[in-house]
Amino acid sequence: MTPSIIKINHQDHRVAKLAAIAIALSLIEFFFPSPIPGVKPGIANIIVLFTIIRFDFVTAVWVSVIRVFVVSIIVGTFLSPTFFLSLTGSLFSLIFLFIFKGLNNKYFSVISLSLIAAFAHIVGQFLIVRLWIIPHDGIFYLIPIFMISSLVFGLVNGIITQSLLKLNISK
Amino acid sequence: MKKLKKINSQLTKKILIGDLFLIFFFIGLTVFLTLMLWNFPQGEYLKIQMGNKNIGTFSLNQNITKVIDGPIGKTEIIIDSGKVRVSKSPCTKKYCIHQGWINQLHQTIVCVPNKMSISIIGNQSEHDSLNY
Repeated sequence: MTPSIIKINHQDHRVAKLAAIAIALSLIEFFFPSPIPGVKPGIANIIVLFTIIRFDFVTAVWVSVIRVFVVSIIVGTFLSPTFFLSLTGSLFSLIFLFIFKGLNNKYFSVISLSLIAAFAHIVGQFLIVRLWIIPHDGIFYLIPIFMISSLVFGLVNGIITQSLLKLNISK
Repeated sequence: MKKLKKINSQLTKKILIGDLFLIFFFIGLTVFLTLMLWNFPQGEYLKIQMGNKNIGTFSLNQNITKVIDGPIGKTEIIIDSGKVRVSKSPCTKKYCIHQGWINQLHQTIVCVPNKMSISIIGNQSEHDSLNY
């Protein structure tokens, strides 16, 4: 057997570990029933936020994209509308996090980042739903429901991430 | 190490001023969008039809009781400042009465046995069909 040509470094291991946690959280979330279809807490975002603050943005992009692909393959929605919704939401979150990650540390904590990420998720998903999946203005009546849920879950996720960062996990 | 120090200094307080500002900003945005998007149009007139004959159009901003003669008897309709219901009907199933109050644009109550239908209309003419 030939030895692996691709050199695996410390950062690859880190991405793998973080992505594994994110995938596990996503799967737990998938098997929990949701009171309103489409409203999900998005607990995997905790890992992405944690990665951005503790490590760097590139690692977070890897973790987020790997999570979307692997979860969709496990759950069986790969290349279906659900997968594209998930991917767009994640990419929008990442874009907005990239813009806002330089917010002043004195006034904005990770809770702000979490809220921004949650709202960016909703914005991205609504754009793709309106443009591609359900091209009808009727879906705009759903915006308030998703706004409220993203506000609540963004806040909760932010607080969880903050206490997670306090634990000072170094790996 | 420098980065870790920065994170630690950041975690002295739980929720910072900027966070509060952002939370209130998003709450405001949510309330604004809710008010803007969930603003269902209210109708202004009630149109009463008997079979395919138009009985008449009445303003919703009044408190009156109307009695209409149909093929099997009298139907009583109550208009109560913005909302409408059928209170008495000679039909057997009484679906029209069970529907209760209606107050939004294009809502309709139909009593098939008595061939009576009432619907709320606005100022603009409504579509009679839609194509996608």
